[in-house]
Amino acid sequence: MKAIVIDDSRTMRRIIGSALSQLGYDIFEAEHGVAALQLLEEHPDTALCTIDWNMPVMDGLTFVQEVRAARKWRATTLMMVTTESEHGQIVRALAAGAHEYLIKPFTPEAIMQKLDLLGILPQTTVEKLA
Amino acid sequence: MNTLNIEVSKDQILGIVQEVFAAMLDMGETLIFEATKPTDLVDSLHAWVDMKLNLAEGPLTARAILCTSEETAQTITRTLLMTDEDEDVSFADLADAFGEIANMVGGNVKSLVRAPSELSMPVVSKEKDMSHEWLFLQDLHLVWRSQPLSVSLWVQPTTN
Repeated sequence: MKAIVIDDSRTMRRIIGSALSQLGYDIFEAEHGVAALQLLEEHPDTALCTIDWNMPVMDGLTFVQEVRAARKWRATTLMMVTTESEHGQIVRALAAGAHEYLIKPFTPEAIMQKLDLLGILPQTTVEKLA
Repeated sequence: MNTLNIEVSKDQILGIVQEVFAAMLDMGETLIFEATKPTDLVDSLHAWVDMKLNLAEGPLTARAILCTSEETAQTITRTLLMTDEDEDVSFADLADAFGEIANMVGGNVKSLVRAPSELSMPVVSKEKDMSHEWLFLQDLHLVWRSQPLSVSLWVQPTTN
């Protein structure tokens, strides 16, 4: 299963990517929404995008809106991973089409629990948990 | 000019910093505590984010600043990037990692103020940029893995 980690911080891309890789995902990285859209064009079978909110070039909310406007990416799960914890911002992201919302700081376990709830854990991890 | 009617306690800041460090750096363990007294830092590094708050009384900008020694910031960076202790850390990596910690602390401080708000990108510098009129709001002196670190909050009154 493919996942795109979208965050302008290389540190955060490494941390989130490492957590997802350990769960069995193949990781691609993008430093803003425009780069992520290009990756989605190249990998339309991407199962998951984790998305920071505040990024240069294209922010996370705009990325979610762009993805949800295209039918070809309807199967891709979008999860915001951000410090934006204001209730109104969470509602905006979910209304725009994000499936889940994880507030920084987080633990690898928190990521796994969210993905388990969404039913998109890679089969190898599901088998380990069974 | 707005009055300074936002309140953030030392305990709230401590709780936020402990949560950030435990989750991101210390495998869930709490290894950062309030210091008994402030420590003068040599070769200090500052990381901050600004919060634009749209309060009922009008707009206000708040700033959360983390300060520690460059050596401790390098330890934070190596821990976050999962690199070896003797591996060199570039300033770009240092700014990215230490800035991200400031981003998480500032973002969670922002959530304490129940008002629509925006968070800036983090800035990391050896010098604090306090060129505008900033008023002191709160600070907290901490010890992480025996190394000093501080968090301070400032506000900038906005003329309507």
